[in-house]
Amino acid sequence: MSSDLSALLSATFYEKGDNHRIELIHQRDRAAHRRLESLDLALYDPEGKGLREVPIDTRQEILDLGALVGTVTDASPRVMVLLDARYDARIFPYRPHHYGFLHRRGSTAAALYYAANAVLGGVPDRIGATGLNNFETYIFLRRPLAERYSVLLGNPARFSTAEAQVTSYYATERVAQPVALPPKAHVEVPLAGEHAGERLQRVEIKALFRLASYVVGRRADSGDLVLFDHLFSYHR
Amino acid sequence: MAVSLRALARRLLGVTRTPTYYLPWLTLNGLECALILNNVEARFKPGENQGPFPATVVQYDADGSVVRECTVSVRDTADAVELPLVPTSRGYGVVTVSTEHLRSDLYVTLSDGDSYTATHGRSEFVETYPRRVRFLLVLLGRLLEPLGRTVPAFVRDQYVYAGRDGRSHLLLLNLSNVTNRIRVVVHRDTARAAAPLVALPPRGARLLDVGTLAHVDEALTPLALRLQGNAWFNLYLVGAGPRDLAGPLSLMHVK
Repeated sequence: MSSDLSALLSATFYEKGDNHRIELIHQRDRAAHRRLESLDLALYDPEGKGLREVPIDTRQEILDLGALVGTVTDASPRVMVLLDARYDARIFPYRPHHYGFLHRRGSTAAALYYAANAVLGGVPDRIGATGLNNFETYIFLRRPLAERYSVLLGNPARFSTAEAQVTSYYATERVAQPVALPPKAHVEVPLAGEHAGERLQRVEIKALFRLASYVVGRRADSGDLVLFDHLFSYHR
Repeated sequence: MAVSLRALARRLLGVTRTPTYYLPWLTLNGLECALILNNVEARFKPGENQGPFPATVVQYDADGSVVRECTVSVRDTADAVELPLVPTSRGYGVVTVSTEHLRSDLYVTLSDGDSYTATHGRSEFVETYPRRVRFLLVLLGRLLEPLGRTVPAFVRDQYVYAGRDGRSHLLLLNLSNVTNRIRVVVHRDTARAAAPLVALPPRGARLLDVGTLAHVDEALTPLALRLQGNAWFNLYLVGAGPRDLAGPLSLMHVK
């Protein structure tokens, strides 16, 4: 990832068995496609080991992540996918973004659609403001349901280990979990739905560097995804 | 240039924009739909982080009628108020929340009793058209309707997905006080599959079944939609599983 103003680095996670599609350009208008100059995709296992790098034909509209990851022998059950997109600067002020469709094959749960995490770039006047996107929060429905919650974190950095603190908030208590991620490593951090008799209300992620981050909800019985969403920054 | 021309046209026509936070709601097949109102994102903003934070919530049905209007108070930035929405026979629509005091994204949740899905709303605006413009749009709409066309004042592009195991439907929200005729041009691969014209009443909504737009194959098939409306509108995707609209559903905002 360069400091080119027209670059956008996005991250998502692919899990084995998912039907997972990524839209190269969310808006299909011709101008947007003309302005996507290149897209390089890279896959990483949880330890940060590079599995595959693929230059993508920008004339394509939608990527089938399952088909791409399927070409990697002994891929781990979850891989981090980094999408390094370069745009002709004339795309701005439109904010480029990748969106995705996600559904476990055979699952009875609803299909999900989500905005891929924009880890770096995409909005020229925000580049350089490094403290903006690494302090995030998400609120949960408080009623107890047959669902497990977690956050998925990935470190897109090339050289630096990133430290983060994941704090779960309950009515009167909070539980902090420190996380250290080597470059390109990723982890799913479970959040207890209940602590000391109190329901999980909110999660907060603090990190020195911007991480790829998603809040995740899974059905308790099958593990099927029901939540896969970005968190919200305190400082926008 | 297009933006400034649009602003000029709005001024000439006397169209006003009112800042509004809006979300979709959906209670089909007994799904429980609730808002989570909060002001957590204002936690570190001096001058904005002292509660309580009152807000007015208006729930509109698919036909644009008001189902419920209420005032809610969020106590402080650590508080989150869960507000169940009222089920109706149509089962979906738009809900607005006043944002004079709330400076945070708000959530809408759907639960089948076992688990829940969630998304957030949009802090944008609703448009109000004066009577003469409404009359003009009605007239133009009726003229163009037999041709399957509309006044393409606003255009959006969106992908939807259709397959036996899962699909994404479209929930269209009319964010104006005129009937919004929206033309949905559907492409499958490069071929045009359909171009239905749907009319949404003022502040109304319409759930567009992806199965009516193209034949649903076994394998997941993306469809590219271009939506043109004669007034301001937005859309959410409604995710479904193998039981389609009779099963659990998800909602998702788009750009």
